[in-house]
Amino acid sequence: MNYETFIAELHALDAKATQALEEVTDSASLEEWDRSVLGGKGTLTVLLKGLGGIEPEHRPEAGRTANKVKQGLSERFAVKASQVKEVALQQRLSAETVDVTLPGRKAQIGHAHPVWLMIDELSEIFALMGFQTVFGPEVETGRYNFDLLNIPADHPARDVWDTIIVETESEEIVLRTHTSPMQARVMEKTSPPIRVIVPGRVYRYEAQDASHEWMFHQIEGLAVDKGIRMSDLKGVLQELARQLFGPERRIRFRCDFFPFVEPGVDFAVDCAICNGKGCRVCKYSGWLEMGGAGMVHPKVLRGVGIDPDVYTGFAFGLGVERLLMMRYGVNDIRAFAGNDLRFLSQFASMRIQGTEVTR
Amino acid sequence: MKVPISWLKTLVDPGASTADIAYRLTMAGLEVEKIEQIGTDWDNVFVGYVHAVSPHPDADRLVLADVEAGPHRLTVVTGAPNIAASQKVALAIAGANLIDGYSDSGQRRVLKPAKMRGILSEGMVCSEKELGLSGEHEGILVLEVDAPPGAPLADHLGDTILELEITPNLVHCFSVEGIAREIAALYSLKAATLPAATVQELGPRIDEIVSVDAPELCTRYMGVVLEELTVAPSPSWMTRRLTAAGVRPINNIVDITNYVMLETGQPLHAFAMDKLNGQRIVVRPAEDGETLETLDHQIRKLTADMLVIADANSPVGIAGVMGGSSSEVSDGTTSIILEGANFDMKSVRHTARDLKLRTEASARFERGVDPNLVEHAIARATRLLIDMCPGATVRGHADYYPAPLEPRQVSMAYSRFEQVLGIEIDREDILDVLGRLGFDAEFGGVDHSTLTVTIPTFRSDVSLNDDIVEEVARIIGYDALPATLPIGQTAPVQRDSMYAMQSRLRRVAQGAGLSEAVTYVTVSESEIALFGSKDRSGIGLIASVPENEVLRLRNPLQDDRGLLRVTIVPSLLEPLASNLKHSSSVGLFEFGKLFLPAGQDQLPDELDALAIVMAGQREPFSIYSGNDVYDFFDLRGVVDVILEHAGLEQATMSPLLHPALHSGRAAEIRKADTLLGVLGELDPDVARAFGLDGVRVNVAELNLRRMMDCARHEKREASVPRYLPVRQDFAVIVGEETPAGDVAAALRSGGGPLVTSVDLFDIYRGDQVGESRKSLAYRITFTAPDRTLTDNDLIKVRKRIEKVLMQEVGGVLRT
Repeated sequence: MNYETFIAELHALDAKATQALEEVTDSASLEEWDRSVLGGKGTLTVLLKGLGGIEPEHRPEAGRTANKVKQGLSERFAVKASQVKEVALQQRLSAETVDVTLPGRKAQIGHAHPVWLMIDELSEIFALMGFQTVFGPEVETGRYNFDLLNIPADHPARDVWDTIIVETESEEIVLRTHTSPMQARVMEKTSPPIRVIVPGRVYRYEAQDASHEWMFHQIEGLAVDKGIRMSDLKGVLQELARQLFGPERRIRFRCDFFPFVEPGVDFAVDCAICNGKGCRVCKYSGWLEMGGAGMVHPKVLRGVGIDPDVYTGFAFGLGVERLLMMRYGVNDIRAFAGNDLRFLSQFASMRIQGTEVTR
Repeated sequence: MKVPISWLKTLVDPGASTADIAYRLTMAGLEVEKIEQIGTDWDNVFVGYVHAVSPHPDADRLVLADVEAGPHRLTVVTGAPNIAASQKVALAIAGANLIDGYSDSGQRRVLKPAKMRGILSEGMVCSEKELGLSGEHEGILVLEVDAPPGAPLADHLGDTILELEITPNLVHCFSVEGIAREIAALYSLKAATLPAATVQELGPRIDEIVSVDAPELCTRYMGVVLEELTVAPSPSWMTRRLTAAGVRPINNIVDITNYVMLETGQPLHAFAMDKLNGQRIVVRPAEDGETLETLDHQIRKLTADMLVIADANSPVGIAGVMGGSSSEVSDGTTSIILEGANFDMKSVRHTARDLKLRTEASARFERGVDPNLVEHAIARATRLLIDMCPGATVRGHADYYPAPLEPRQVSMAYSRFEQVLGIEIDREDILDVLGRLGFDAEFGGVDHSTLTVTIPTFRSDVSLNDDIVEEVARIIGYDALPATLPIGQTAPVQRDSMYAMQSRLRRVAQGAGLSEAVTYVTVSESEIALFGSKDRSGIGLIASVPENEVLRLRNPLQDDRGLLRVTIVPSLLEPLASNLKHSSSVGLFEFGKLFLPAGQDQLPDELDALAIVMAGQREPFSIYSGNDVYDFFDLRGVVDVILEHAGLEQATMSPLLHPALHSGRAAEIRKADTLLGVLGELDPDVARAFGLDGVRVNVAELNLRRMMDCARHEKREASVPRYLPVRQDFAVIVGEETPAGDVAAALRSGGGPLVTSVDLFDIYRGDQVGESRKSLAYRITFTAPDRTLTDNDLIKVRKRIEKVLMQEVGGVLRT
């Protein structure tokens, strides 16, 4: 082949292959082009093999031109390849488009019972104040449930707690009517300083209605040491009210009677909904009753062998369901043992009180 | 106790609003539960004067009354039998909104002038019922003679009634006088004393008419004999107060005894003298089998531990509870014995409880009435009887009081106030408050550091130094206390191990999709009967309690659920069924106690358990869900995760036959020989009994105490393995009956410490393995802590595995 023919064919091939490359749209035709042009038996490769037959004086010139053409085609091929790849990717993604408004595959996760969420929260709050969480028996003797708490048999004070009684031959065994029996049990086992809280189920022989349930949960608190004062009780309960209901809350003490405390206290928190001004939730009183409390009765201390002249203590009792009702505006206590998941599941998303603590 | 504020104000008037009085009483321990207004709805009702009453021309039972009230002078047509000229009455004019006297439901209607038998009635004269004062509608309300005509009725008769909660310690406030004393103390006032008969007016001593045979149960008995009495209705001011206080008026004599009880807190009773055999009183224990018809006309069977008031022959009253009907004061009565006594609080309480007869009297006695109150109440009642029954005479009185109660004294350190309250209170303030409450107090000793207090006998609730502290604190007001935090050493705080474990497992169960329930601890006999059978040793899943030993409640809230549970599972089935009504899949868990009997008269052993129930669609109903329902292996997956988080991966499962569970789908969980739990599908018949017919119900119960005891405590490898794991698949051919669990165990033991996991991924049955055989395909992961495993290592391990498989389960590796 002479030089002129070679150059002419080379240019023709270049033009034709470039044209063909432009028409390529997918990876299959791109591969076919590569094979038929640049491949071992491709048109360009075959043509270049004829380079040796060109006159020696034109050979360097023909070689340079051939390389230029090959380089040009290779570059255009690379550009085309990346275009084809991009298009293919776009096509795949487009084919995979979903309706993002369809529901997700639901992760199945359950809920803790609100009563236990509250108990955990209280346990945490009191732990910060040095109180240990302990538990006690739900079935109790009359001695712990009443006698050691200065509630003697044949005393009308005993009527305050409507008691569910276990059938026995002679010993008085009851479902505990409050968590207070643990006061005596804790004081018998340990010596001051004592700081405990006792959560748990309690039972009352009481007809059920929106605000009465025969089984519910209480938290008992007890602190006994030298120098424990009623003002400390007030401080601890105020701290509790603020942790549970917000830093603005105030508490109110009024005199009340519980046989195992003296002086006795009924404590209330100002209504967070109306800020104590009076609304439907607090029955226009501005206050919500939280529980009973007081200074541990000297007879209770003496009954477990602690000298009331040396040691003083305070005790309090809180209704767990009642706290939940106050905080979340639940108006029927029966919902808690009703176990309807539509009710129970709501508490997972409830706001948790707390303060942003800066370091 | 209900008290009209107008009654209180006859004794002390602080000049404060009702709201303020109620608030101060409440803060000081005498809680005002309710404030009831009387007369706020009496618009257009006035005090009217009846000028004349004339017959209705066309009706025998109606009359025409000419009534004047200020600017109004009306003709009223009425059927009231008791209307008469010159009376003061409640006149309602057009527009008054009154209760319908013929309605039982308290329905109201607005008064309009209306013709009655041809004559226009321009207004209405009202009955007590129409005004909402009582249920009385026989006749109209006749007002006191001095009622001012023309005045709005509300100004004359309107009142505010305080309803107070008398806690068991507050017997001294169980009276108008007692409440007035509290108000006086709170406002630094002095309450007036009630007019009473003098000692002379009580006549000579006639102690022989009273004998007390049970001196320990009757510390005092005073009886006044009054003669020439006339029984009549009480004046309206008295009946109104009684009604407001919730006591039904009877006649003047009975009403006076009740009225004085409300005034003073001392229960009184009047016996008709002519109906007492021997005209005398004997206080004695009842004889077993004696009966008495009480004033409510019930025949009461008496027992020897009850105290009665008797005449010469038989009981005429139950001491401190209720009188008998045979000696009841009636219209013809002219002579009475007025009883004022003090009975033992425990005895009265027992008797009232045994007879299921709680009365105003027993409510006071069982709180411990002051015996020194007797003479005060007797003198007060005698005064009223003499004043209200003109011509009445006193024959004399008896007073059995062998051991008069003397006031006690308590001495205490002044410093106790600050020690208990955390605030210093001035000595003068302490003396002032105690004085206002009726205590005599003085400071003495070195630096006046000792307070000596004489406690009035009406304060039986006060005996200790801290009682005195409370008296002072409650009057000064708890508001005065600062809020402090306890100082001093705190006890080391430890976490309760069971609570910690429960908290962790609660999160795990939640993560596994289960929700926590809290159910009642009582179950019915039929429910638990399904969880055991007579031929087994007892009832329960992880426990086993003989049926007749399950703890029984004497007074269960739900009659049919009178047993304390020995398994939690039945309690969870009800909420499972109810939730399945609105949810396609439900998984519940509960932490609770099982109450295992520990012997007669012993507290039960309370076993901490975790129960799980699962039923319904495996996936929540949605476009992605299939139709698969939860089965045994879903439950087992949850249980496995829980065991793992409790440090019990090594627990093993083995088949279990239990009457409540599917015979082919139940297992017990053990570690070594210790039973940790039970899981399985509920027997279809049992499921049906709980309203879950045709539902696959998967249940489990775990013994948390044993799980805690058995949990693995050894140190774990905390670092991530540095060398790559090697995974190899092993197909093991074993006999059809060989449990897969045994094969996995053999693979683990054969593989030794290099094995980090053994996962079953296929089970094949068919020609290639032969009849009655199956091939189990496992992927085993091997890791060495210190090197990359070589082919040589794996060949050795494979040989050991082959050997152990053959030895333990007769299995061979498929190649």
